[in-house]
Amino acid sequence: MVEYRIDRRSGVATYLQIVQQTKQALRMGLLEPGDRLPTAREVVEATAINPNTVLKAYRELEREGLVEARRGLGTFVRATLGTTAPADSPLRGELAAWARRARAAGLDREDVTALFTDVLAQHFEGDGEQ
Amino acid sequence: MTAHTEGIALEADLLGKKYGGRRGGWALRECDFALPTGRICALVGPNGAGKSTLLALAAGLTRPTEGTLARPARDDLAYVAQSKPLHPRLTVADTLRMGRELNPGRWDGAAALRVVEGGGFSSDTLVHHLSGGQRTRVALALALGKRAGLLLLDEPMADLDPLARHQLMGLLMADAAERGTTVVMSSHILTELEGSCDHLLLLAGGRIRLAGTVDDLLAAHALLRGPVGDLAPHTVVDSRTTGRQLTALVRREGPVEGPWETTEPSLEELLLAHLRTPEGAPA
Amino acid sequence: MSSPALRGPAWVTVRQYRRTLWAALALVLLALAAVAALRIWDARYPDTALENGGWNPDPDNRAFGLLQWLLQYLGMGLALLPIAVAALVAGPMVAREYESGTYSLSLTQSVSPAAWLRSKLLLTAAGASLTALAGMGVFALGWSRTGEVGYFLWAEPYVYIPTGAVLFAYLLAALAVGALIGQLVRRTLPAMAATALVMGLLTLVLGAYRWSLMPVETVTGPAGPTLWAPGNGLVMDTGLLTSSGARFDESRCWEQINNAPGIDTDPQAWGKAQAQCFADHGVVSQYADYHPESHFWPTQLIESGILLALAALALYAAFRVLRARHP
Repeated sequence: MVEYRIDRRSGVATYLQIVQQTKQALRMGLLEPGDRLPTAREVVEATAINPNTVLKAYRELEREGLVEARRGLGTFVRATLGTTAPADSPLRGELAAWARRARAAGLDREDVTALFTDVLAQHFEGDGEQ
Repeated sequence: MTAHTEGIALEADLLGKKYGGRRGGWALRECDFALPTGRICALVGPNGAGKSTLLALAAGLTRPTEGTLARPARDDLAYVAQSKPLHPRLTVADTLRMGRELNPGRWDGAAALRVVEGGGFSSDTLVHHLSGGQRTRVALALALGKRAGLLLLDEPMADLDPLARHQLMGLLMADAAERGTTVVMSSHILTELEGSCDHLLLLAGGRIRLAGTVDDLLAAHALLRGPVGDLAPHTVVDSRTTGRQLTALVRREGPVEGPWETTEPSLEELLLAHLRTPEGAPA
Repeated sequence: MSSPALRGPAWVTVRQYRRTLWAALALVLLALAAVAALRIWDARYPDTALENGGWNPDPDNRAFGLLQWLLQYLGMGLALLPIAVAALVAGPMVAREYESGTYSLSLTQSVSPAAWLRSKLLLTAAGASLTALAGMGVFALGWSRTGEVGYFLWAEPYVYIPTGAVLFAYLLAALAVGALIGQLVRRTLPAMAATALVMGLLTLVLGAYRWSLMPVETVTGPAGPTLWAPGNGLVMDTGLLTSSGARFDESRCWEQINNAPGIDTDPQAWGKAQAQCFADHGVVSQYADYHPESHFWPTQLIESGILLALAALALYAAFRVLRARHP
């Protein structure tokens, strides 16, 4: 089960925050096919956001084929977002090794983030979620 | 006086209310709006804008001076007045029992208890001894326990600490999620409503300045930054110039073309811009 | 004092005013205890028989005097009960709901405004009537002992009101007037004051005109000795009659008497001149207009009728105002 954290000052629309956090949970393996998403009631009781916002986010996830609504039962995960990286995958290992090297070379956290973001922008140009 | 239109919880037609007889002033004038069922509506505006008057009319506590207001029957609406009035000499338990006695057949004691829980007082406390925030809890418990289709809340969160505000807003939203309740909440604290409300009624000087869904209203406006210039055909709501730089919030007529950086305004920016413009400016 | 049988707005009203109900019960019990104790104390002193067949309390019997004194206050208390009830309804029960804003709570539940007011009034009517009934019982317990001493007492307000049906009529009028003024004034203390004033005036005015409601009966007798009304009659007017049976206006003799010779010096002159004047005008007998004790119940019923008509009007107006304000 995921728990959503809504940041009202982030400037990102609330429903997108839910979509992104759900996808993040799918990538990290926190949600797997067959898992139930929290009901709209559970989400709004915890976050005090508008119920329609939750429904809008779930519709978006459904449209992308990631979840399906089963009438009267709830919303369930259909697919994983896949290629990434359970904790023991080789890609994660390589990245961890790279991070250690970066640190040894004297880069601090912000330098590493800037570098990483720059490389991401080069390699994934035009494939953003928004 | 039941809401006759399918799917409309509250509908005002040229609604007006005047206080104090012949010499009194208009608290509300020429209000036209329709609030669809299931919406969470923010009723905002400066002090004295007519928010409380509109809510009291919707609750059926007073009659309109002119125009009509289609609203649910008495047993299908719940109202919490700004002063959170309760009988001071009843205990909290008696107050909730009162909710059951006065709403036979529809009272949900468990829903009411969920609101009272976490308030830090026992149910045999006299209402008289409760703090402002605790009174708000009991008043909201009465409203939610009634299981009404329309909740009318006048400044519901004003006396609450941030934690209680978050918890109670969560309960309110959960109730709406579960039962499709329509909620109208007045406030002058904009951040309290952003994120929770999907519909907006902006009142100023007794008149409606903006009405509609939040998404539509935001999409209909644009925030422009750039060189000073002619903004036609867009309607300028509010603008400021600093040197050669112009910042303006406009109601757009089609796409904005020009040398300006264009963003969608936040709800707060939109409301502030409309509140800054003097009365009678284009709404 | 909450009974499981109470439901809806009645439960709420009783819950809110349970202290008032307890206080009323305590007062009634206190009065009962005092009257009963005085009757027991009084019973230890045998009465003194009079030659004419009547009796007097024993000179050492302090209980009898205390009982008379207590009954006077108890009777006055009962006669004033409607004013207190009117103030309670107008102030705490109706005006305070507006003053403190709780009307917005009460009128937005699933109960109609009319049912809300009706429930308050019915419960108060029941509570006040039971209190009055119990108070009247306690009064009767004492009055059955002291009532025989003293004349015309049945017509005194402190006896007339708590021994007849008129007390209940006053209570109903009090409820209705309280409900109306409470809604019009909408502030607790001013509403209580205004209502007490209106009910006080009503009590005074009816008290002043009560004995003009029924036609008097008349008794005549020879001019001279004091003419007593038969039975325990309440004398309203006395005067002289001429031989033709016409009522004689004594002021017609004043001039003649004042102009009589020696009126300022001879102490006998005044009596002589008056007798002469009466003889000149043929005055032979006197009359007394009075209400026999049998007028007690007809007067009670007429007065009750007036009060009930007023109560109905005020009640109608109270519900009209409620309806006009709250859809």
